[in-house]
Amino acid sequence: MKKLYSNKPVIFSLVLPGILVFLFAVLAPICLSVYYGFTDYSGMGEAHLVGFDNYVKLVHDSAFGRSLLNSLFLAIGFICIQHPIAIIVAAVLDKLQGKAEGVFRCIYFIPNVISVAVIAYLWKFIYNPDFGLLNNVLSAFGYQGKINWLSQQNAIWSVLVVLIWHGFGWGMLIYYTGIKNIDPVLYEAASIDGAGWWTTFFRITLPLMKPVIQINVTMAIISALKQMETVYLLTNGGPNNSTQFAANYLYQQAFKAFKYGYGNAIGVVFIIICILATVTLNTIFRDKQKA
Amino acid sequence: MKKKVIATLLTVAMTALVLAGCGSNKGSAPVSGDTQNVQEQAGGEESAADPAEDAADAADETSGEVTIKLFSSLPDRKNGQGLVEQMIIDEYMAANSNVTIEVEALDEEAYKTKFKAYAMDGMPDVVSIWGQPSFLDEVLDAGVLAELNEDDYAEYSFIAGSLDGFKKDDKLYGLPRNTDIMLFYYNQKMFADNGWEVPATYDDLMALCTDIQAAGFTPVAMDGGDGWPMACFLTDILVQVAGIDYADIVSNAVATGDFGAPEIQQATQILVDSANAGMFQVGYDSQDYGTTMNLFTNGQAAMYCMGSWDCSMALNEDIAPEIRENIRAFTMPVVSGGKGGANDIAAWNGGGYAVSANSQVKDEAVKFLNYMYQPDKLSKYGWENGVGLSAQDQTAYLTGSETELQKQVMDILKNATSISGTPINDCGPSAFKTAIENEIQGVSNGSTSVEDFLAAIGAACE
Repeated sequence: MKKLYSNKPVIFSLVLPGILVFLFAVLAPICLSVYYGFTDYSGMGEAHLVGFDNYVKLVHDSAFGRSLLNSLFLAIGFICIQHPIAIIVAAVLDKLQGKAEGVFRCIYFIPNVISVAVIAYLWKFIYNPDFGLLNNVLSAFGYQGKINWLSQQNAIWSVLVVLIWHGFGWGMLIYYTGIKNIDPVLYEAASIDGAGWWTTFFRITLPLMKPVIQINVTMAIISALKQMETVYLLTNGGPNNSTQFAANYLYQQAFKAFKYGYGNAIGVVFIIICILATVTLNTIFRDKQKA
Repeated sequence: MKKKVIATLLTVAMTALVLAGCGSNKGSAPVSGDTQNVQEQAGGEESAADPAEDAADAADETSGEVTIKLFSSLPDRKNGQGLVEQMIIDEYMAANSNVTIEVEALDEEAYKTKFKAYAMDGMPDVVSIWGQPSFLDEVLDAGVLAELNEDDYAEYSFIAGSLDGFKKDDKLYGLPRNTDIMLFYYNQKMFADNGWEVPATYDDLMALCTDIQAAGFTPVAMDGGDGWPMACFLTDILVQVAGIDYADIVSNAVATGDFGAPEIQQATQILVDSANAGMFQVGYDSQDYGTTMNLFTNGQAAMYCMGSWDCSMALNEDIAPEIRENIRAFTMPVVSGGKGGANDIAAWNGGGYAVSANSQVKDEAVKFLNYMYQPDKLSKYGWENGVGLSAQDQTAYLTGSETELQKQVMDILKNATSISGTPINDCGPSAFKTAIENEIQGVSNGSTSVEDFLAAIGAACE
């Protein structure tokens, strides 16, 4: 068997499908995107090279700038709101034990298994100023006005709530798995030493969860950058680009505005930003690990 | 030896898998029955017109069987225009037993996106199109639509000028389906119960909105989330401000990128003032078509601003009878100091159909297109189903049993002294359309100034 694995044709045949998939499904589209990013292609007819025109326009495009700011806002929201809550909930679930642990774990994960389209429309109805759940609840408590939850000022916060709610289950589950992998002996020792829940959490759980936190934070930032489906269905980037995100903006420019070349330029910049974000995060975490 | 055999087998298997994955099914023989599937379903999207099936289609042709792929922007096949389209398809297939028509229907936004993908990779045979520069300019430049012989349609009773939007260099590439009029639908009973009257001037409309608000209703249900209905509303105001100069002012602005004309500024300011005064529902700038229409059809809004294609509300049994039977319409009231009169209306010939230039069954597709436009088909069925006005003369199909709403809309068109033509958002390139439909949300809700709005849409014309 060992000889089989060192047989070059076998190795080649096993690796070839992966390489082909990478070449034709990843590398070739990226190369085409780079090419089209330098053209004025509308998606139909002929493409003409326009040099760096698309990239120059992109630098001055306030909607694209807004979409990057929104991604940053979302990433901060994930890291500062979603993940601390997810860690605490995971720790509490771990302590629950028994049937309750499984039941609550499922409940928290339910939003993740619902289709994005259903979630978007569900929240559209919840946020509706005329017949939505939120305004009806407020009305039941005596509030007379109608709050426009998806107004230009409020929309990004409303989108953040939906995305935090939707992605919470995954984050919580990964933290939960991390906590389950911590040696129970450590908790027993801490308990014998008289450590309380919070002390145990801050002195044992949190420090030992660092690798998991690093993975989750990286995933949260990438997810914030890649955000598209929920926003497309919930607000489509509006009103007036206030909830615009790069992927949604790319789609609008390439497929609605017939600016396929410009859309590809956005795609290229978007890929560069994603790579830079990943490399930066890896560098930060690697340095911390070394320290 | 055994290991060598295993190694060879693994290599061969893997190579076969890779080749199979990269292969094409173009040369494969059609499986019996596959090409006969009519994949029509009510209310949903359907099978893609796959260019890889062309070989199978060609085989069908030699045996007399023809499959026409129709790509439609009317996904609701049980109501309105989708129903009319489906009725004609069914009739055509019944009359031509060798013809199968496969329908793929998507709503407008998804349709336009996929249309572009098809334009790159092979169009279905018959497609929905819009005779407006924002859609058609790029499509015609790409040469994906077949030229039609205008002389063939001399007896089809098209309304004068209705074919113009579908032409380029005097060559005809499509046929219009509708005459669309921008309307205020209103609930007549609600008006009567509250002592409200149809406004004669824009000032009256504003006063009426104040009264409606005071009574606890939404004055006008507006689909601001999609952008284009509000742009049509702006067009309607601009027609009243500029009168018959509307088309010249807008085409000049699009050509120069300068939207600083006083008429455009005034019309935009009126839109902003109306929104500020609470003419529309709370959250109008983020609400979609269905939600907005529901506000009106549920009786929460007294008026609903939309095109004449929604006249079918009067026959829609999903709407409560006390509302459905009381739906009436009026056009934009005159603006004080404006050049437009009460009978200068915002109307145009928008949606229609065309045939793909590269269709494998072009002759049959054109034959089907011509069949659809026989005066007793789209026009007649459309009228009978209350889906608004056709781009063809419909007077022969008046039965006297039309809904009050249909009669009203017919009168509006009959009495019109001028018709605006293409709405402002469709007058420029698609980049302009995208820009104005985004920016109009900002200017109407006050987060963008009128000057910045006009500068932004001007920049999109460059």
